[in-house]
Amino acid sequence: MGQAGRLKWSIGPDEVPEWARWAAFLLVALLGLAIRLPQLGARPMHTDEAINAFIVGQLLAGESFRYDPQDRHGPVLAAFALPLVRIQGAKAFSDLTESELRLTTVLSGTVTILLFGASVEMFGFAPCLIAALLFATAPLPVYYDRYFIHESLFAAATFGLILTAWRACKKRSTAQAALAAACAALMLACKETAFLHLFALAAAAFVFWRWNLRGRSPSGLWRPKAALAGVAVFLLLSVILFSWFGSNWKALAALLQAVPNLLARAGGEGHQKPFWYFTQLLTGGLSGGLISVLALISFFRTTRKRDSSAFGFLAFYALFLAVIYSLIPYKTPWLALNFWLPIALFAGLGIELLWRMPAKYSAFRIPIRAVCIAVGAALAVLVAHDTRQRVFLHAADETNPYAYAHTSEDLLGLPAEIERLAHQDAFAAPRIAVIAADPWPLPWYLRHFSEVGFWQPGQTPGKADFYLTSTEAADELGDQLQDFRPDFFGLRPGVLIVLWAPAPK
Amino acid sequence: MKFFLSTISVSAVLLLSAAGFAQNQVVLKTQLPAPLFVGTPAPLNVPNLEPPMRGKRPDFYIPSGTINLARNKKVTSSDNNPDVGTLDMIVDGDKDGNEGSWVELGPGKQWVQIDLARSANIYAVLIWHFHSQARVYRDVAVQVSDDPTFRSGVTTIFNNDFHNDLGLGAGKDLNYIETYQGKLIDAKGVKGRYIRLFSNGNTSNKLNHYIEVEVWGKPAA
Repeated sequence: MGQAGRLKWSIGPDEVPEWARWAAFLLVALLGLAIRLPQLGARPMHTDEAINAFIVGQLLAGESFRYDPQDRHGPVLAAFALPLVRIQGAKAFSDLTESELRLTTVLSGTVTILLFGASVEMFGFAPCLIAALLFATAPLPVYYDRYFIHESLFAAATFGLILTAWRACKKRSTAQAALAAACAALMLACKETAFLHLFALAAAAFVFWRWNLRGRSPSGLWRPKAALAGVAVFLLLSVILFSWFGSNWKALAALLQAVPNLLARAGGEGHQKPFWYFTQLLTGGLSGGLISVLALISFFRTTRKRDSSAFGFLAFYALFLAVIYSLIPYKTPWLALNFWLPIALFAGLGIELLWRMPAKYSAFRIPIRAVCIAVGAALAVLVAHDTRQRVFLHAADETNPYAYAHTSEDLLGLPAEIERLAHQDAFAAPRIAVIAADPWPLPWYLRHFSEVGFWQPGQTPGKADFYLTSTEAADELGDQLQDFRPDFFGLRPGVLIVLWAPAPK
Repeated sequence: MKFFLSTISVSAVLLLSAAGFAQNQVVLKTQLPAPLFVGTPAPLNVPNLEPPMRGKRPDFYIPSGTINLARNKKVTSSDNNPDVGTLDMIVDGDKDGNEGSWVELGPGKQWVQIDLARSANIYAVLIWHFHSQARVYRDVAVQVSDDPTFRSGVTTIFNNDFHNDLGLGAGKDLNYIETYQGKLIDAKGVKGRYIRLFSNGNTSNKLNHYIEVEVWGKPAA
């Protein structure tokens, strides 16, 4: 398997010295890091990011992580972010900054780029290098690697699982099996969607074995000892993470609710999209179409040939993942990051196939190479354009398909306006009452104020110097706002929040 | 008896006034576009916030013979190269809220100016900035003048820029949420040839949009 079954035009790992391989991938990872770091704090905090930041703030305050399958994903993001923000000097929620938090996902994205370097034995040097370059620079992975949500870590853990499970089978290695199990546990402790991915991976492995390997004896692929080690590591790490290092055993019971909740959420909960949503998202922009075409060329070639290389397995994984995610009504754009592992690798293989076509059609060597260079150059220009537009120039714009129900840039002016008005009215520590059914991400933007209270519509807030109300809640306060002047701020597209400041005398 | 006579007299005066008013005043009738978002943002019903429009806007009376003088007139702007659309779309009669009906000016403070071709008595200005989602445009101000440079003879008929970001003086008018019914400003018969409308971004982004502006008036005698 692997070496013998690899497509004959691919560059094998032995053809590139190991030091050269890692130097190349390290450079690409540094490029990815260089693209991900600038203006990291410029985009407003999305509600999901603000909630994750609040959880990190709770941990900084000495609380333990409380897993709640209804409202929270798993603890991995907070577990990785906590030491990182501490290193950067944060001691409390109010100390946190956008860039400090987002560094966690930037680093996990950089690890994913490096994992392409570790996958050369599976997928070949050139496809992995091209895939790493695409992952390092393309708008979608760059955008969501700069987003303080679980998806970036989840993608890295998924890649780690594929890589180590493949090695565990190939080398019959107990250590690799344990690593694979650790990656699976990390996936589960990231997001409950791990169940879907583990199912897709298992189904892909089965079909690949039956169809591509033609039912070769599985005894040569795994050992009971490795399987047992894997199960033990998976259980142990899952228990450690979900119980937050033994401080919250109730989380294990709550974990049993994860699947029913996942099934309920899959129905949509306001995030229903048509089945072609991800296709539209992934082929969008100027570069999406070209990347998708390159990926599809090698995808169809791989499936048609019943390829026994790792690409054969990857094709089924991509297919099952696409079917599952497309059929589930609940769709958010960051889920598309999961498609980027197979897409980047197949696009890399597609480019390599084109480049090596002259070996088969030697008469057309020069035109084929010219086309390859033109495609590569076009791809570089289009990717650069899309990344600049979507990641940097219009990161929170509602026309940006990645900015989903995103916090408006307008809200960035709210804390400054309250500070200005508080200074003007000589409030040393202004009392701020927030009355809204869904106040997020306001807790993030009001974290520097010491006297902030949150009420639901219908509740009576205390006396305050400033009120922040949803447009619905303002109706109920009536006389309480008699001497206040309203000012609107955009919370999200189409959602406004009203700041009530003392009216000028 | 004295009370009876005085009641009769007052009633007669009121009836005569109403009859006179009815002869000279008509309801401003403009063609409204289709509302584009279901669940119009919940109205705000608090003392010093602009009263919400529940359903149709109350009738607004203008002198008979008043017409929309802005239709197809020349429009200039602080941003003569809009990112989306062209300036003539502001007075083309298309009030649809969908893409293709609005002009998008650059970020920050911007203005558009309509030349009515001759001086007129203006009774109402109707503005549609954007109505496919709940938005508030910042620092909305409307001025009328006979001077195209707006250096002299300027009358401000609306100004909700209470921070004085535009430098026109701090406004006292209220913020409002954009709807398909547009914002109606009572111009009280002010005389002028040029209308200048200001804005300074909105609650969704820093850009400025106009779908349509109507200027209801009669050419000055």
